[in-house]
Amino acid sequence: MNSPAQPGGPPMLKISGLTKRFGGVAAMSDVTLDFAAGTLSAVIGPNGAGKSTFFNLISGAIRPDAGQVVFKGEDITGLNRAAIVRRGIGRAFQVASFFPSMTVEENLMAGIAAHRSQWSDLNHRFPRQGVRARALEVAEMLGLQDKAAVLSANLSHGDQKLLDIALALALEPSLLLLDEPTAGMGPEERWQMIEKVQRLWQQQNLTLIFIEHDMDIVFGISSSIRVLCYGRVLAEGTPDEIRANPAVIEAYLGTPVEEDAA
Amino acid sequence: MDLDALASCLATTSCVVTQTTSGLIVGMLLFLVAAGLTLIFGVLKIVNFAHGTFYMLGAYLAYTVYTATGSYTLGVLAGGAGMAVFGVLFERGLISRVYGANVLMQLLICYAVVLICDDLVKIIWGPDFYAMGMPPAFQVPPWFIGGGVVPPFYALLIAAALLIGGGLGLALGLTRTGKIIRAAAHNPDMVSALGINTTLLYSLVFAVGGMLAGLAGGLAAPVRSLTPGMGFSVLIESFIVTVIGGMGSIGGALIASIVLGLIRGFGTIGFPLFTDGLMYIAMIIILVAKPSGLFGKEIV
Amino acid sequence: MRRAPIMRDIVIAVILVAVLAAIPYLTPSKAFQDFVIRCSSMALFAMSLNLLVGYTGLSSFGHGLFFGLGTYTFELLMQNTGLSLPVAALATLLFTCVTAIVVGAICIRLRLIYFAFVTLAMQMLAHSIIISWVSLTGGDQGLQGGIPRRFLFGLSLENQYNLYVFSGAVLAVGLLLMRHIVSTSFGTSLRMIRDNEARAAFLGISIWRVKLTVFVLSALFAAVGGMIMSLFVSGAYPELINWPISGDAIFAIVMGGVGSFLGPTVGTMILLLLNDLVTRQTEYYGLALGIIILVFALGLRRGLLDFITERLGGRPAGGIS
Repeated sequence: MNSPAQPGGPPMLKISGLTKRFGGVAAMSDVTLDFAAGTLSAVIGPNGAGKSTFFNLISGAIRPDAGQVVFKGEDITGLNRAAIVRRGIGRAFQVASFFPSMTVEENLMAGIAAHRSQWSDLNHRFPRQGVRARALEVAEMLGLQDKAAVLSANLSHGDQKLLDIALALALEPSLLLLDEPTAGMGPEERWQMIEKVQRLWQQQNLTLIFIEHDMDIVFGISSSIRVLCYGRVLAEGTPDEIRANPAVIEAYLGTPVEEDAA
Repeated sequence: MDLDALASCLATTSCVVTQTTSGLIVGMLLFLVAAGLTLIFGVLKIVNFAHGTFYMLGAYLAYTVYTATGSYTLGVLAGGAGMAVFGVLFERGLISRVYGANVLMQLLICYAVVLICDDLVKIIWGPDFYAMGMPPAFQVPPWFIGGGVVPPFYALLIAAALLIGGGLGLALGLTRTGKIIRAAAHNPDMVSALGINTTLLYSLVFAVGGMLAGLAGGLAAPVRSLTPGMGFSVLIESFIVTVIGGMGSIGGALIASIVLGLIRGFGTIGFPLFTDGLMYIAMIIILVAKPSGLFGKEIV
Repeated sequence: MRRAPIMRDIVIAVILVAVLAAIPYLTPSKAFQDFVIRCSSMALFAMSLNLLVGYTGLSSFGHGLFFGLGTYTFELLMQNTGLSLPVAALATLLFTCVTAIVVGAICIRLRLIYFAFVTLAMQMLAHSIIISWVSLTGGDQGLQGGIPRRFLFGLSLENQYNLYVFSGAVLAVGLLLMRHIVSTSFGTSLRMIRDNEARAAFLGISIWRVKLTVFVLSALFAAVGGMIMSLFVSGAYPELINWPISGDAIFAIVMGGVGSFLGPTVGTMILLLLNDLVTRQTEYYGLALGIIILVFALGLRRGLLDFITERLGGRPAGGIS
């Protein structure tokens, strides 16, 4: 693997035998994958391949039926969302997820207060010392500083996606999961977004996993790629290896795959 | 609490028959009201807190037509038809203005209608309660089944409610409109995507819901005392039934209505002061065990 | 989230209570004092419900459970034990707290309309228990016979003026406390859950802990409102735990405005004023009130204070549409 991190070092995220069924349908079956620390990895696959389910399982939104998720050497399988977040896994969503009645700054301050375990604080007024300053720092990381006072419900689609990512960053995560950061954007806006994501990855010393449909972006920036298909790992490797993989070529370029054959 | 009385009742056929019959009447009439409530919720995602008022107005209307014409059948039909019209007026005039608004705003509008209608009933019919009495044709000696007393009129009520319920089931199952309504209850977004006139559909659903409640009120008029505010206990009970059966599920409402009717029938003997409490306990247990009700769709 | 320093709020509250205490020296209207006492009780109750509805997005239909529980527990303790008034009040709060933890733990598992219905069922269950447990609660006759030992630090609350000032002061303290709660980080957690529960969870907030905490806090304020009502009516009656009491509180917060901190207080005043004025004019209270509600609800489409705030160009602190 051509990851910037030292090969052979312990993986940041180690997934083994992950399985999830909905009703009788296996949405994820026996997925085993490692993500090395400091890598920028893409997860791709046709619609219904189980990419979002994969994120949901890692982040605790749903519990796996079988298998293990080990993060920084600790088994986090079956922990709830909040517990997993506190261990350092941040997440942004396919549909931007934030607090629409708050301004950008309030959103970020709320996220930072939550991260600093002040969410149950009934003694001090919000925001506590240092929260506002940190919120502006985070806003700056994504170029949202000029929009700090804008009500988040009134932001443009692209800025809402950025706010969602900023909220995840407010947690100072070591692992960041981005579910289609460029969903719903035009070509130009996509590349602006991706540049921001790439810069974050470099500057914040993150391990970053993202789901993406745009193959130019995927092959352009990722150090490694995992291909999911019908809830299974179809292939993994460097962009070059994936490009040459016959199974991937068939899944994407060959005979049309029937979406609902499970 | 009087568990001995309950035990000795369950030991005798006569008592079981009598209580089952009265339970079934409560249950079947309740089902007609609850079916409309659950249908409206299924299709419009609106909780019609004024549904008990439809029932009350149906009963008063049936009473008036019955005293004027002497025909119980005409009275019941008038209750149903009148409330179908009222349902449409209510939907078009008021509820359609708060689609998509907070549920509390919808609650408030319905609450206003309940208050207004209760007072209108007071103005039109007076504040005292009326006892309509059974139609003369049914003032005959009761049947004795297994030693239990079953007035023929009770049998008629149960049969009529079954007939209406069955008719509703057939209409929903076989007609094109019925299929659209069922589809809409299952997946509201799909309907507008198919280019179906939702305005018409929503009015229709309210008409059907109103009609069912009006028919139930009319059917019940001879065996209930008519008072302003009589809709409330029916409203609460039909909510319980709707929630237990699963909101949006008509089959669920049927089963839950019968169960609730039987709880009422036998609860009166074992727990005379606490029959309501039994229903609430049943509702809490079901909600906690299965939040979407017995036959409701899983909520996300 | 523009906000004034807490000191300013305290000063305003002290001045208001002082003004309230002075008013009877200008006009001896008993009706006004009655109004303030009832208003304090109901406003505390409605404000406490708005912690759930407006701030957390939890639409409870059964909040009257805790209002009624406050009246009954307090009355029972005063009548059947030798406890002094403040101790009985504290014991009432303790009992309310325990009950709210149990009821809340069951209810907050449910969402949206299901939460609303299960809370209503809880309240009606409590109502059924009170109606059927005649030996303890007096059944549908309620607990009559007045409240003995109505002394608070040497002041008799049987004296209407004392009760009037006391109620106003309790309301002021209650409002200050609630104002504080919503302005803390915990208060922000409430808004986060209302806006986007999943996002709040993915920021590390324990949703059930926040919901249960606010459920218990709001139950305590409701019980305080109930105790004032108990002092006012010298007893406890089933009507005080029946569903219309929850209906009144919902009415007050929707009419006053869920998005403004003081909305429910304004709504309570509207409700009580309507009640007093209309019942004096006509026996058809429901008809008049219903029409007024329709005019408000369909005309403004939001609470009065929210409407005014928006007209003045401000942004209500919340909003649940």
